[in-house]
Parts: sequence; C-alpha cells; structure tokens
Amino acid sequence: MMRMAHITIVLLLVGVIVALAQSAELPSSIHPTFPLLDEVGANVLESDGPASAMRTCGQCHDTAYIESHGNHASAELREHVEPAGRNLEVGTAEWIRLTCERHVGGGPAAELNRALDDTTGWNWDESGIVELNCFLCHTPNPDNAARIEAIKQGNFRWASTATISNSDVVVKSPDGWSWNAEAFSSNGHVKDGLLPIKDPPDENCGLCHGLADDDPRLPVSLTSCGPEHWSTITTGQIFSSQRLSESAMNLAGKQSHTRAWDVHAERLVRCVDCHRSPNHPAYCENAPVSGPSHLRFKSRGMAIGEFLRRPSHDFSARSSAIDSTTGRPVDPKRRCESCHDSEGIHDWLPYWKRHMAVISCEVCHIAAISAPTHRQIDWTVVTPEGEPRILCRGIEGEKAPPTPDRLIDGFQPVLLPRPELGGGQRLLPHNMISSWYWAEGDGATPVPTEMVRDAYLSEGAYHPEILAALDQNDDRQLDESELRLDTASKVESVKRRLESLGLDNPRIVGEVRPYGIHHSVTRGEPVTRDCRLCHAGDSRLSAPFTLASYMPGGVVPGLVGDTDVGQSGELMMGDDGILLYEPSTSSAGLYVIGHDSQLWVTSIGIFAVILVLIGIFIHGGRRIQAHRRRETEEQQGRLKEIYIYTRYERFWHWLQAVAIIILILTGLELHIPDSFALFGFGNAVSIHSTLGFIVVINALFAAFYHFASGEIRQYLPEPKGFFSQAIHQARYYVRGIFRNERHPFEKTPERKLNPLQQITYLVILNILLPLQVLTGVAIWGAQRWPDLVTGVGGLTILAPIHTLGAWMFAAFLLMHIYLTTTGHSPMANMRAMIAGWETIEEHGDNES
Amino acid sequence: MNRRRSWRSPVIVLVLAVLVFPIIFFLPRGSEKLDDPWAGVPERIPSTDHSALMKGPFPDGPSVTRACLECHPDAANDVMQTAHWKWEGDPVLIPGHTTPIAIGKKILINNFCIGIQSNWSGCTSCHPGYGWVDESFSFDDPETVDCLACHERSGNYAKTDGGYPAEDVDLLAVAKSVGRSSRENCGSCHFRGGGGGAVKHGDLDPSLINPRERVDVHMGRHGMTCIDCHKTTKHLITGRSISVSVDRAHGISCTDCHSSAPHADERINGHTGAVACQTCHIPEVAIREATKMHWDWSAAGQDLEEDSHAYLKIKGSFEYEKGLRPEYYWFNGEANRYLLGDKIDPSAPTAINMPRGGIADATARIWPFKVHRGNQIYDTQHKHFLVPKAIGEGGYRTEFDWDRAVRLGSVSAGIEYSGEYGFAPTEMYWPLSHMVTDRTNVLQCRDCHDEGGLMDWKALGYSGDPIHWGGRAIRPVVVLMEPAR
Repeated sequence: MMRMAHITIVLLLVGVIVALAQSAELPSSIHPTFPLLDEVGANVLESDGPASAMRTCGQCHDTAYIESHGNHASAELREHVEPAGRNLEVGTAEWIRLTCERHVGGGPAAELNRALDDTTGWNWDESGIVELNCFLCHTPNPDNAARIEAIKQGNFRWASTATISNSDVVVKSPDGWSWNAEAFSSNGHVKDGLLPIKDPPDENCGLCHGLADDDPRLPVSLTSCGPEHWSTITTGQIFSSQRLSESAMNLAGKQSHTRAWDVHAERLVRCVDCHRSPNHPAYCENAPVSGPSHLRFKSRGMAIGEFLRRPSHDFSARSSAIDSTTGRPVDPKRRCESCHDSEGIHDWLPYWKRHMAVISCEVCHIAAISAPTHRQIDWTVVTPEGEPRILCRGIEGEKAPPTPDRLIDGFQPVLLPRPELGGGQRLLPHNMISSWYWAEGDGATPVPTEMVRDAYLSEGAYHPEILAALDQNDDRQLDESELRLDTASKVESVKRRLESLGLDNPRIVGEVRPYGIHHSVTRGEPVTRDCRLCHAGDSRLSAPFTLASYMPGGVVPGLVGDTDVGQSGELMMGDDGILLYEPSTSSAGLYVIGHDSQLWVTSIGIFAVILVLIGIFIHGGRRIQAHRRRETEEQQGRLKEIYIYTRYERFWHWLQAVAIIILILTGLELHIPDSFALFGFGNAVSIHSTLGFIVVINALFAAFYHFASGEIRQYLPEPKGFFSQAIHQARYYVRGIFRNERHPFEKTPERKLNPLQQITYLVILNILLPLQVLTGVAIWGAQRWPDLVTGVGGLTILAPIHTLGAWMFAAFLLMHIYLTTTGHSPMANMRAMIAGWETIEEHGDNES
Repeated sequence: MNRRRSWRSPVIVLVLAVLVFPIIFFLPRGSEKLDDPWAGVPERIPSTDHSALMKGPFPDGPSVTRACLECHPDAANDVMQTAHWKWEGDPVLIPGHTTPIAIGKKILINNFCIGIQSNWSGCTSCHPGYGWVDESFSFDDPETVDCLACHERSGNYAKTDGGYPAEDVDLLAVAKSVGRSSRENCGSCHFRGGGGGAVKHGDLDPSLINPRERVDVHMGRHGMTCIDCHKTTKHLITGRSISVSVDRAHGISCTDCHSSAPHADERINGHTGAVACQTCHIPEVAIREATKMHWDWSAAGQDLEEDSHAYLKIKGSFEYEKGLRPEYYWFNGEANRYLLGDKIDPSAPTAINMPRGGIADATARIWPFKVHRGNQIYDTQHKHFLVPKAIGEGGYRTEFDWDRAVRLGSVSAGIEYSGEYGFAPTEMYWPLSHMVTDRTNVLQCRDCHDEGGLMDWKALGYSGDPIHWGGRAIRPVVVLMEPAR
C-alpha cells in the first residue's frame, strides 16, 4: 500500500515537473544559457556580488566594441532634465542620477570626470559605476523601475542586477539583492528560459524613448509625463499597433478613430526593423556594392557569428539629428524612402515629384498627432512639489499627465524646413517647445533647479516673500494665474530671492526648441488628398503654432541654434499674451501656388482689367448713344460678303481662344483658390498644364502656317506711312466710329489687320506669349529639371511673372472681344471668325 | 450667296474635341472606385397588402394554404421541391460511400439533440408544413405547406409539435399580415436551432432580429434582411450549411456583392486568396447571447441542480460561451459527413462534418468556425452512433432509460443496436458567416501575425507565420502535353 502511494507521489511529481517545464517554455530564444559574472569576472553565485552585463555578455560578445560603437552609451542627455542643461556643471554622479531614466549606462556614466567628481566628494568605490546595461534592452520584461531606483539611491553597481529582478534569478530583501540558487543549474548557468535574451522588443525601446506598446491587448494609455516617455512628451508620438478607438485615452471623437496609432506598428514593423544594427547580415543583400561595376551582390558578407560577436549598436539615428562636430545632418540610414517608393502610389497627386522634393512623407502621413505633448516649460517658477510648470498642447486644460476627465484633441504639427543630405531642404512636421529659466552671471549658465526651489520653497511651502509677491488674491496659495512671472514686480521679487541666495545677476532666458516627428504614421484615409489644405490662403504650411500661453518676465525666447532645423518663420504675439510661431513659406524658399500669391501682381492685374473694362463701358456707351441718334440715317457705303478666314485660320483661332480662356480661368483658381473655385484645385492644375501645351503646339502649327503660306505678312506693318495710318485708325476709334464713318481701311483677305492690330499682335506674339510659354514651361518643369528651374530663380520668380502675364492676357482678351463688335455690325467679325464670311463696307477708293 | 451661311461650324466641334480628349487623358487619377455592393442586393418589391384579400374563416393551417394557393397556384409545389420542405437535398457522393445519397436533416444526426428519427413531432415544429408527426407524413400534399411560417408579419404566429399552429393563434389576423419574409420569419427557426435562442450556430441568434451595428453591419447598419443575400427564386432559398449538406450547390458568398479585392490596401487584398472574408470580418460571434460549446449526454439522468445553461437532467451537462473567438481551419466549401451506421473510433473525437480543404487545396481558404464538441451515445459493439428516442413513451426524457430509448430510436432510424452502449466524443463544425463587422472591429495584422496570435500556423500547414515565411505557394496545375509522335 505504501509502495503504491510512493509511486503515485513520484508519478505526480514527474507530471508536475513536466507540466512546469512545458509552461516555462518562453517565446523563442536560441540564446544559450550563460553564467552571470560580476565586475571581476567571478560567478555571482560564488561572489554574491552584483552582476555585470559587460562581463557577463562579454564572455561571447565584444562588449567594449558594442559600447564604443553605439549612440546609446555615448548619448549626452541633458535637455529637459535641467533647464537647457547643456552648460550645467555637475559631477558624474549627479549627472547619472539626473539622466538615468533615459540613459542605459556606459559612456559618460562609466567614464568618471575625476576633477569635478572630487569636489563633490562622491564615493565611487562604494557606489560603483553605471556600466552599459545590456539587460535593459535584451531581456523580456525588464524591471526598469528597480533599475532607476537603484541608481537614484546611488547604488550604481547593482543597477544591472535590479534590471533582471522580474526574472526570479535575483530576489530583493531589505538588506539588498540576493541570488536565487534555485534559478541556476549545477554548472553555474542561469537555468534555460529564465533569462531569455532577445533582440529588443518595442516595449523595451519604449522604456526610454516614449510610448511604444508591444501588447495590443492592453489599452494604450499615457499615465505619466516623465522623461522616460521622451518622444511622446516632446512630440506626442506613440508607436503602437492598437486602434485609437481601443486605447484607454480620452480622445476627442474616439469612436471614429479606427486607425492604429502607427501603421508600421500595426503592420508588425518593429523598432529594430528600421533602427537596426548597420552590420546586420540580414540586410547585406540590399547594401550597395562598392567595387567592380559588374558586381551586383557582395557575396563576402559578414558571417552571422562575426556579427553576433561585434554587432554595431550604432542604430540608425533620427533623421533630424545633426553631427555636433561638423554641424551637418547625420545620415539617418533609415527613412521612409529606404523602404518606400513614392512613385506609382501617388498617381492622384499632380506634380508628385515636386511635392516629394519639398515636403517629407511625414507632412501628409503624420498630418495630426492625436496625443498630448509638451508645449511650454516654465522653469522660472516651481510648483509646490518643486517641479517646473509645464503646459501641454493637445489636451483640455493644458495640463499633463492626461487624466480621464480631460479631453485630448491632439494637435497639428508645425512644418519646418530641414536640410537634406543631398542638398536642399524639405518640410518636416515638428513640435516646438518653449522654455524659460533663470540664468546667472554673464553667460547663459542656468541656475540649478535646486536653487530655484530654495528661492521659492521653504519647509515644503512657498516662501513668504514669494507668496507676498505672487499671491494676488491673498488665499495663501498660488493658482495657475498667479504662478507665472507676468509682471515686472513678480520678476523683481523672485530675482531678489535668488540674489539673496548668492546668485549674481539672475535673469530670465527663454528658448524654443523644435522636435522632429517621424512616428505615429498613418496611411489611407487619414492622409489628406485635399490640395487646398496647403494651396490656399490659410495654408497649413503657414498655420501659426502656439508656443506659449504667456511669456515669463516678458522675455521673448530665441530659437535654439544647435539643431539643423531652418528658421523660416517669425515669433508673433497673439491675443492675451499668447506667443505664436508663424512659419513662412517664402522664408523657407518656397512659392506655394495658391498660397503665396503676390499682392502687387494681383493688384496690377486687377487694375489693368478694370481699366480695360472702364474703357469698354465708356466707348461702348458712346457708340450706343451715337447709334440711337442716327437710327434713321442711311447706311454709308456699299456692302459685300467676302470669304475672309480660311478653315484652318478659324480652327487655330478658336482653339487658341478656348484654350486661353480656360487657361485664364484655371490659372485664376490656382492663383486665388479661396476666391475662385470652379474646377477643383487638382483638376485645375492638370487642365492648366494640358492646355498650356495645346496652346504652345497650336501656336507652333499656326506659325508654320503663316510662314509657309506667306500670311505672316498680315502681321508685319509696312514701314511706309505706318504712323499716319495708325493715327488714322486711332482717330477712327475715338471719333469716326461714333459718327458712323467708314472704317479707314477696307478689310480684305489680303489685309485683315489694321495698323493698331498689327502693333498689338506684334507685342503679344513676340513678348507676352513667349514670356507666358517660357515661364509656364519652367513652372511645369520644376519637377523635371529642378536645378535648371532653381537656376532661373525658381517658382518664387517665375510664378509672379507668369501670373502677371496672365492678367495682361485677360486684359487683352477683354479688349479684343470688345473690338470684334466694331465691324460693320456688332456681330459681323464674330460671324466671320466662325463661318469665314464677313459683311464689310466696300471702299470705292481703297485708301490702303 | 453665302450670306445665310449657318453660324454652326464644324470648326468649333473640332476645337472642343482637340481640347477635351487631352484634358481627360491627363486628369489626375483618383483611387479607382471599388464596385458597388448594393448592385448585388435584389430590389425589394413592396408586398401587397393582404388584409382585404384574406377573408377566412380559417379553422386550421391548410385552410390558409388553400386561400394562398388561389392566387399563388405554384407556390406550394415550388416549396415542395426545396430542402426546406424535404429536409433532404439532392443526392451527392459522400466520402466513404460509393453511391450518391440524398442527405438532410431527415436522416442525419448531429451532436445536439442527435436525430429526428423517432422524435419527429418535436423537431418538426420548425418544419414549414403541417402534420409531420411520424414517418408516415406525406410530402406530396400542397395543402400541408405552411405559408405563414415564412410570410406572416404580425409576429403573432407560433408553431408547435408536428408543425401545427399553436392553439390560440388567430389564423385570420396572421393570414392578413403576410408579406416579404423578414429576419424574424427566418429567425423563428434559424435563430433558435438546437432548441433555444443562440444555442446552435453562434453567429445566428435572436439578437439579429433588430441588431446593433456592432452585432452585424449588414443587418444592423444597412437594415438588410436574410433574403437580400440568401436570394430566393421560386421559393428556392440559396445558402448552404455543412451541418446538413456537403457540397457547394446553391451556396452564397460575400463576393456575390463585394469585389474579391475590395480593400484600398493592396496588402490586405493579398490575403483574400487564402483567407475567407469571414475570418477578419467576424472576429467574434455570440456577441449578445452565449452559444452552446459543449454537450455531454453521458451526464444526463442525475438529480443535480438544474440550470438551462449548465445542467438539465433530461439533456446532460453543457458549456456555453459568450463573445466566442472562433477556431480557424482550411475550408473549401465542402465537408465530409458522418452517416448513420458509419463506424467510429470511440477513443478519439469523431468529426461529424469535417470541413474539407487544406493548405495544398487552392480552393480552400482559412475560415472561422464554431466547433461544438459533444459526448453522445454509441453502440460499443457495432461501433456506431445511436439515435435515442427522446420524447413520448419510452423516450429518454420521460423515462431516463438509455437502453430503451436507443432501442426504440434504432428501430426508427433503421440501425442495429447490440444492447450495449457507451458515450463517445464528437465534434461538429459550424462555419461562421454572420455577425459581420466592418473595418472598425475587424481583425488587425497583429491578431494573427504575432507571437500568441489567433492562427496556429503549424497546424494549418505553414512552416511558420507567413508574414516571415511567405504564404502558401500554390502553383497552377501544369497540363503536360502529349509527347509528339
């Protein structure tokens, strides 16, 4: 009986173990098991010391190479942690503690600045250093909070160990960390499956870079605005496959947003697919081959083992990064065009190549950001918690972090020009964050936050002097309207407080910093196809962007100079003290058709047209008066019917006439789409281009006809007596026509044009038409021969000339149509041009 | 002489032609218009108001039918040609059998209430006829066709045992209401299969009578009725269910109305060759009401606490599930079928209607299924399933005596019973085509293409997730030419 019981227990145990073993099977990792080593290379089981990732991973991988070939370790993160902290003089230990939320260790965190550190008295032997922490990126479910806590406590040496504390390998007790012997095999390796090493899942990237959600089943939410959500708090970018409608955020119109936060995340493109290791063999096939031109594939690629030993961690940098030494844009290695070909899928877009040359893909494909983000950071005041005052955009109440009761409506990024590697620049969506801080001394050295805190707070409450100066309603508290240095007296009192703490010449400095946006990409419907969004008076390209709802101390912030983003706009003061950035397309070197119409061109054009109309009304009115007076009078001269216009002449004339009228109408729509919309902007563009070419071809054929047939003589004035004839004709128009006199010159098939017509057509055919054709073809060619067109001044020069020419054409057209009524009868000329036959007065004594 | 020459001129026509053609040619191309699904929806002809036409008196069902036939003389004969009436289709070849067999509800078993043999009167309350109470029912009498079941619109009609109208139905009032069949008409049987609302199908339940958009986009948003898709001519209603048929004849498909590449996104259209529309567009069923997932007959007969969703003495124990996430299998529209007398292996679940298709079958696509699993009575000697008599004298539900119930049932069903019985597991596959959602709730890439996704790629025959490994490469059949002589 006992025996049976034993067997049963053994069997049960085996079953449990098998079941456990199966349940412990974690997602695929072919990484072999390994021992955890401490900083001197001993197994942590024996030394009980902290694990060293550099040593542990260094058993197989060249961790020194990895540390030195990557921008993670070397990143010198300071912005936002302290106000404009670039010049902040702090010791290494302090720097580590300030930046640890976003720094993975190694680099500046491991290279000690002894000179400075000695003055702080930091005990490095006790704390250890913060070495590059492989575990943070390469283990699933790392305990980032424990890592940050260890570093904040100055327990640098244990930071890597704290990172893997979710894994059962290490246990935390009140005395510190201790290794769980059960988690190790007899050979000292961590048991299989307990610490599966992988290429980083998106979530791990998201630990420092912003909201990147790996689990589509958990609703996306932004619960804090700490520096760990960097790209989200600076730009509102969220990298998640989840639909907006399924997130846990209080989004405006949420149910209608059925798109994913980012289409790449939705399509299972992971962070590391674009931000990949540059020597990853899987991508070698696409690598350009240098060498013999007949080689298409580099077969001597890097072996996988070689790569695994020394994987470059120089991940494709953000494309808006700039090299601090050369001041030139860094090769981003990966950008939209690395994978996507814009040709073919933008058929609907006229001039797609031109569009691609001046705007980045992101402009349309990240047209709006649905999450809130920072707008203004005011370090000149501190909240009762000792933090700077932060105002957000895209959320009701301008406050962060988002709470369920505040509606998030997102924002439309501002478009700023950014230089391209190959020269030129393109617009890219950005967020701009303004910040103000106290600086001291002669330079712009920021006052450490600690000192500002001391100036404002004493014993956890506002200092009485601060309260006296800022508390306008005497409720012993500082509400939102009070906690801002918007009057000279407020600034003065805080300044006095800072001076009393020993600061020299404290003053408020402000800056505005742009942050490029590359994630939260959409496809399909959210992408606009509305031309008028940009090609209109209130173009998105120049939409004012709110930078701040108030300016501390009235200090106008400067745009920071250490980014590659071009400054193409102006800071403007809006209503209620709001600070706006107004981008300018012309400053960005762009002439946006429909948006950048020049007022002087339009004014001259309208003036010319009105002038012609007034002339027509006066002249026509007098003709009608004269006609009424002589209604009973006899017709002068004999009449005859002559065949005056051949079929071809009529054809080219009317082809040109209709084409030019539609060209003027479509051109008007392109020029002032807000006031005149007939065809739709995109159609107008296409029709205009097509008709432009028809006019050119028709003109060429007509010219050939005129030369070949000798009809060109019609247009050439005879030098002899031309001036007297012209005066004769002019006199007829200003006088004779009202007295029902005969036309001075008989119209014959051999001589259809009077001297004034001849001179008019000479000007039109030799100046106006060529000018229109040349400028028109150049504008059309802006995407085919960009260099050539830029060489002649680009659209900025060409477009106004073309527009002015069009106005002149319109003015001519009106006059031309009016003058057709001056024949024998008002419709005689018109009928001749349609049917070919005209009734004219027969001159017995032909004067010509 | 040409003084009166017309103002009209061929020149103007030529000018316009020269202008218009290039303009149209060079106009920017918009995304191509996807075809219009409404073109596939039949025109809804308004029904004639019959309230003045039906005069009565109508003492019984057939008297109503006689009135109908006065004006619609062919209607009953048309109905009598259909599977709705015969509960039996055209003869088809069933895998494992050599001669074509006409199958249908009349002779098949399932793993719910098992079979109608010996249980006619209860089951036939859903038969569109009057009086099918035993095997002697004549299928040739037009007057026993029940027009009202499908055409009454009053909502006050009910059928009872044998298909007879319930006693207190005012047949005159009901007859006056007749019109075009509504969701409620079809649903009176199809939403209540298995003996109650939502029990059987999972994707058909009473919530579809007046569904919200989220439950079904066709019926909820667009107000479509069953016969908009199940197009009907001469009372032959199209549509197929592999619970009672194995072939594709008279089947309907999403592509009857929708394009086979209806998405603006090429990448998604790339799926349609291997993934049925239903797979993405029916991410869950039994949205409002739980459906039966498991039925263990072997637990019946005990005096346990009763709960119609967990245990009934007369039926055994059940499991129900609400918000059911489907299972996914290859399916080419055809199925295998267990027929009475077929041998089984009681140690493994017997698939009663295994859907056909596989990764190598170019006509098969991955479909969503509700799989109803059961444990039902079989003959341990003959190794085949048995049909118990459920109701009436000797019925299991009245006497709780399995032996007597299957003995009586076997006689009616014409199968052998050795006297020894046991219970064996079964599976029944229900392909899902209703409770369709639009883009707002469709499956997204990551639902399948990610670790822990919905698809078991290995089981489906792939080497791994096709997003990394590539899809199935089905080569067209190469017809070898005869060698030249």
